[in-house]
Amino acid sequence: MASQNMDPAAAAASSTAALKGSESSGNATRGSVTKRLQQELMTLMMSGDKGISAFPESDNLFKWVGTIDGAQGTVYEGLRYRLSLEFPAGYPYHAPRVKFVTPCFHPNVDDQGFICLDILKDKWSALYDVRSILLSIQSLLGEPNNESPLNTTAAELWSNQGGKYTHNLSGSQQNPENGQLLIQSVFGYF
Amino acid sequence: MEEMMMESDSVEMSEPGALQGLAEAWESVTAALVSSGCPVSDQSLSDSLLLLCSHGLGRLLGIWLLETLQMRLSSSVVPEFWSCLKQPENELEEKDRAWVLLTAFRTLLDRLEPFLSGLEKLGAWQDEGRGGLCGPGPSGLQERAFTTIRALLLFSPPPILQERVLEFYSRTFSVYMKLEGSDEDVAEAPDSPSGGSCPGCGVPVLRCWCQEALEQLQELSHILLKLQLLEWVSSEAITCILHKLIEQRMEQHCRGEYERSFLLDFQEWLELVLGWLSKVFASEVDGATPVPAAPSGPIQSSIQGTQPASSIMKQWRCHMHQFFCRIYVNMRIEELFSIIRDFPESKAAIEDLKFCLERTNQRQQLLVSLKSAFESRLLHPGVHTADILTVYISAIKALRELDPSMVILQVACQPIRKYLRTRDDTVRQIVAGLTGDAEGCADLASELSRGDPVTLEMQDSDDDGNDPEDWTPDPTDAVHDKMGSNRRSSDIISLLVSIYGSKDIFIDEYRAVLADRLLHQLNYNTAREIRNVELLKLRFGESHMHLCEVMLKDMADSRRINSHIREEESRLSEEEQLPLSLSAIILSSEFWPTLKEEKLELPAVVCQAMEAYTHSYEKLKAMRTLSWKPHLGSVTLDVELEDRVLSHLTVSPIHAAIILHFQEKSSWTLEELSVKLGAPKELVHRKLAMWQQHGVLKEEAGGRYCVLETRSSREKLDRGVMLIDSDEERDSNTTTQSEQREEKLQLFWAYIQAMLTNLDSMTLDRIHSMLRMFVASGPVVTEMDINELEAFLQKKVREHQLIVSTGIYRLPKSN
Repeated sequence: MASQNMDPAAAAASSTAALKGSESSGNATRGSVTKRLQQELMTLMMSGDKGISAFPESDNLFKWVGTIDGAQGTVYEGLRYRLSLEFPAGYPYHAPRVKFVTPCFHPNVDDQGFICLDILKDKWSALYDVRSILLSIQSLLGEPNNESPLNTTAAELWSNQGGKYTHNLSGSQQNPENGQLLIQSVFGYF
Repeated sequence: MEEMMMESDSVEMSEPGALQGLAEAWESVTAALVSSGCPVSDQSLSDSLLLLCSHGLGRLLGIWLLETLQMRLSSSVVPEFWSCLKQPENELEEKDRAWVLLTAFRTLLDRLEPFLSGLEKLGAWQDEGRGGLCGPGPSGLQERAFTTIRALLLFSPPPILQERVLEFYSRTFSVYMKLEGSDEDVAEAPDSPSGGSCPGCGVPVLRCWCQEALEQLQELSHILLKLQLLEWVSSEAITCILHKLIEQRMEQHCRGEYERSFLLDFQEWLELVLGWLSKVFASEVDGATPVPAAPSGPIQSSIQGTQPASSIMKQWRCHMHQFFCRIYVNMRIEELFSIIRDFPESKAAIEDLKFCLERTNQRQQLLVSLKSAFESRLLHPGVHTADILTVYISAIKALRELDPSMVILQVACQPIRKYLRTRDDTVRQIVAGLTGDAEGCADLASELSRGDPVTLEMQDSDDDGNDPEDWTPDPTDAVHDKMGSNRRSSDIISLLVSIYGSKDIFIDEYRAVLADRLLHQLNYNTAREIRNVELLKLRFGESHMHLCEVMLKDMADSRRINSHIREEESRLSEEEQLPLSLSAIILSSEFWPTLKEEKLELPAVVCQAMEAYTHSYEKLKAMRTLSWKPHLGSVTLDVELEDRVLSHLTVSPIHAAIILHFQEKSSWTLEELSVKLGAPKELVHRKLAMWQQHGVLKEEAGGRYCVLETRSSREKLDRGVMLIDSDEERDSNTTTQSEQREEKLQLFWAYIQAMLTNLDSMTLDRIHSMLRMFVASGPVVTEMDINELEAFLQKKVREHQLIVSTGIYRLPKSN
């Protein structure tokens, strides 16, 4: 895996072969990053996945807005979250910075919206793309990793379930900390 | 005589004590001048002259003579001439009219002769300095006399003169042509001695006056020459006649006839005409000089008074060639479209035209006319694209003959190129032509196989190694563009490919065509395609044809893998063998054009065979598998019915699947079949038609189809008139342009949805600029202009997939 995070300009051809189809080898200049991002956008558009979506925020291709709908059958069903994605110049050899813009009550998301997800940190690979990131986050919503929680309240609630979690999620106006905000943003996007 | 009186008066006034002798001297001198017959001895004449000169009257002699001439002309000669010409109104025959014309001029000459010879004499005396006489000499005097004559006679000539002259010249021309150009013209005329008319003079042979006419012509020419009226009286008529004659002859011989060169023919004929002209203009040279030569020497007068005959003839020869070229070019310009259409048969006409066009200044006229001919005859919806291309190709070939600088080609064909760009099937037609599939454009295939390594990007002009001395400037009508003259190409394929400005479009289209061909023939035979690809590689370069090469390689690989798998199969034991044999073509999907998607579920037997095949393939090629396209391909099958067998039918997979289902159950409804096949009902219905036509199935009431097991029932059915729309047209397996457009719009819609999902609401401009910025694949995408986009968005609004308020678009909430 590690070799895939190396710039092919330095690494052998093995890593480029692993890159997605039409990605051409070459130095990781801004131009080729742009091309890659454009390609990813195209892939995302063509995939037609339900519940995930993303698009450049303005004319800057390095800053995207993403949208994730809670997966069906999870407590997050019917909720829509907005995220921001920022791509470094070294993309795809460096992971993008992804965070929730809509406050999200979740064991692996802190109150700033930062996400604790292995593929966004040490497990990042150039093989991943925006689509796989969004799909991973979508599935993270339904299946939190309680081993390394950022939001301990949520993690505790999740571990002793019994309907209370759902209650807290949708009725969190009782929570004085982030209640008001959460309500607004959660319902704002229905 | 009053002139005499006037002169004597002036003499008296200047010299009051005039001698009687002075008057006598004047009288004898003037008498000697005007009337040649007066016998005055040389001596006495000289004395008289001396006397006159000593009194300063010598210079008055010339003035007096001219004055007298002028008086005489205006008072009697000119009116007489005109009345003589008009006098016997129009009752006369042509022959008599010619006579009248000649007589009029004869009288004119008679009347003027005394003055002319008087002038001649006076001039001669002046030259000799006889009696101290001086002056401009004979030519100077004559010059002035002729000017006076011309001025008074032709000041406003009635049209009758031109008419008569024209008539007379036309007649003598045909007479001359009869006598001289005996070969063709006489052969054409009926050779009957009586009753028929002479081809020359147009009257019954017995009364032929051909010879007479020629004599008259000679005399008339001579008179005119003598009076220096020839150029003034004849030029217009001659020009007119020549024009008419050349035009006539061209109409008769050349119009619509493009396969023969006429230059030489006309050259000969023009020489003949020149012979006649020389009769008109240079009767003097013929040696017949019936009128006494002027005493001062014929050589001098002929040089100074008139131009030498040879130079006149040279001038007329030039004129005639010019006429000819102009008239020829005019006619061919009119016909150019047909000539181009008939190229290469019309090559002779093009070469003639080229020759003549270089001598006239009519390129602009040609361009304008050709352009409008293209527009009115070719570029309208009624003409098939293949035909437009055929004409365009002929035009390229013809015009590059006509104008090696290619300027005409470039300018005149601009409308065609522009128009072709608007036709959907242009690319497909060109590609079909290149591969030799099209009926019309067979030229293209041979053009391709010539295999000139001409690429779209022309080599640098420096590479040509042209000597700078050889450089020729562009014609003035060249279009000044950045291309420059070096880049003006005449290569047919380059020109066609550059219609769209990009060769990628052509290569894509070629791939589609190639894919079609490979998928339709279903044997692994690719010899012809390999040849085409190799030829195209020469044109477009290796890298562009890479995908096609992979496609061909796929075919070769498929053949190998297939035979391998079949071999393995044959080693299986009896019971393990599958009920049907399957061959596959294995495509590397990345390299093939998008194939049409169609849903089709094949019967279990076939699926089993496919699975087995996939299994073998996976064993052969680790880490790879097959994904089947069940709707593509062909099936050869036998249908066994109760009383007959239809053998070796080759049908499409869906046809086969349908009939296979009837094996297990002899009657199906359309719905059942549609469910079973996973294909839409309309499609199944259309495909069923083929089996109905074969008389294998029939449709019963209630939408049920069942098998016709016996022939008798089939015959019964035949009697009833049955019209079934058959579905045997050769569908293309690859997507068409309009489908591709639909796909593009679908892609746009995905982008629009995504941006509105994430950015909530946007204006039309913002959506447009976002699309332009981020949809970046393929050359066609950016072609969506803002109006088109607006229309598309409006459509989506109508379909309730989009909401618009105050120019801002958003997705509906419920989505």
